[in-house]
Amino acid sequence: MSGLTAFARFEVARLLGSWKFLAITVGFPVIFYMLFLRDERAGRIVDGAVPWRVYLMVSMCSFGALVSSLNAGGSRLSTERASGWARQLRVTPIPAWSYVATKVAASMVVVLPVVVLVELVGMAFGGVHLGLLSWFELTGLLWVTAVPFAILGIFVGFMVTAETAYPVVTALMFLLGYFGGLFNPVNHMPHALQTTARILPSFHQTSIGLALLDGRGFGIQDTLVLVAYAVVLGLAIVWKHRVEESRGLA
Amino acid sequence: MRNMAVPMASAPRIVPGDDPVIGDADGDPALRFDDVVRRYGEHVALDHLSLQVARGETVALLGPNGAGKSTTISLLLGLLHPHGGTVEVLGTSPRRAVAEGRVGAMLQTGSGSGLPPGVRVASVLQLVRRLYRHPAPFELTVERAGIGALLGRSTHRLSGGQAQRVRFAVAIAGDPDLVFLDEPTAAMDVESRRSFWCMMRQFGEEGRTIVFATHHMQEADQIADRVVVVNHGRVVANGPGATLKAAVAARHLRFVTGHPDERLLDSLEGVTDVVVRGTGVDLRSLDADATIRALVHRGVAFCDLEVTGAGLEDAFVALTGSDRTPDDEQAP
Repeated sequence: MSGLTAFARFEVARLLGSWKFLAITVGFPVIFYMLFLRDERAGRIVDGAVPWRVYLMVSMCSFGALVSSLNAGGSRLSTERASGWARQLRVTPIPAWSYVATKVAASMVVVLPVVVLVELVGMAFGGVHLGLLSWFELTGLLWVTAVPFAILGIFVGFMVTAETAYPVVTALMFLLGYFGGLFNPVNHMPHALQTTARILPSFHQTSIGLALLDGRGFGIQDTLVLVAYAVVLGLAIVWKHRVEESRGLA
Repeated sequence: MRNMAVPMASAPRIVPGDDPVIGDADGDPALRFDDVVRRYGEHVALDHLSLQVARGETVALLGPNGAGKSTTISLLLGLLHPHGGTVEVLGTSPRRAVAEGRVGAMLQTGSGSGLPPGVRVASVLQLVRRLYRHPAPFELTVERAGIGALLGRSTHRLSGGQAQRVRFAVAIAGDPDLVFLDEPTAAMDVESRRSFWCMMRQFGEEGRTIVFATHHMQEADQIADRVVVVNHGRVVANGPGATLKAAVAARHLRFVTGHPDERLLDSLEGVTDVVVRGTGVDLRSLDADATIRALVHRGVAFCDLEVTGAGLEDAFVALTGSDRTPDDEQAP
């Protein structure tokens, strides 16, 4: 297993060593939080019993996880696959599945500090006060539920070419962000958009975090949707890998 | 097993009295390719190809693009499965040999560098070493591949030839018994090509088995103990470089003579083959000058003498039936 550990560390170091990746991943959620925090919704109760500044903190954690995951996979991954490196790894002793697994794991490792950072910003600038246990619960929950995003990022890297990955990632970031209600509470949206939001993983991840905070407890439905996304995207990657393998490309 | 720190001074693995080529106790060949068929849809890439390589041998797979060289290497690495026949590497399945870290490879990467973008060369090499259970010492691999000056460089700041050397280091970092190189010098200029092969030859002299694909006839001839010429998914010639050289040096002498004496013609210096059609004679000679002198000396009355010639390209064309010379073609 030491080979896989080394591989995972290598991947995490690559992500954290890229200032471009860090700037986008950390910059977007923090800047949007600061930007939207003081608008006319400030202080208003927007969802159940949760005020806007708390809602926004949770949704920006979710957005941070989304941005981080899509950029950890996305064009970085498709470029790497095009370079032949992924194929080179196939002729080393590490098993075939470990490439995707390590990518997902590395992406998950990077998501955690992003979530924590947005929470710190919420604490410092948004005046969000929670008990210590709640902070831990929220952080853990938002982190674990980022798995579908991590898989989505890898999925995009597998499906698109290096040239098209960039616009696809940008589009997904804002479509999932906006229509998932990360910038604007879903129950303030027109009915059609509310329905759309309910099929998006971003909506359900934010919702699961908010449910924890306003005392609704654990969102079973949210969990099921997120698990379904993780499984379907995971299977799609496996399928794509199989196809490439049968042609000797993987 | 072998994990020696001193590369150049390592003891030769072939000891007099031992089995001359197959030096290992278990006696398995390094690889066995038996009646292998591989198709891509309707296209037959390998057509009942059989091939065997002994341990310690350096073998070149020579052929034009699309001949089946890369497919052969992909099968030997377990990246592809055969549709028929058996593939065995170091006495086991290709996948297993790879998983055990006994095989290293430099694959064709097309336009890519074959390396992770934006990482220092040293980090890549450190990582690859850690993927193997018994890697070669870091400094040794650096020295073998001659990449000491590149260690601090980022992978996207390497020239084609430099990237190729780093990929060679990646291929040998795990101290493999068997190394596959698919068109390893594709992106190199003449000088880097020369130093690359020098490096490779040293590596091979340490008792390792090396199989490389190339469409450069000279590379195959100069580097390999044995050249396997592949075309249309079949082995069309298989033998030491010298045999190939002989084919290369051969000339055809065509002339007309009154009463051709086949036995006499066959005894002439340099002649390896005689074809007589009526009064027309076609001699295949390894030394055209000597054969012509002998013709005169023996008093053979000939006219309409024509000497044609089998250059490197002609020999290749003859062997592969390809109308393009190997060096015309570039790796994809």
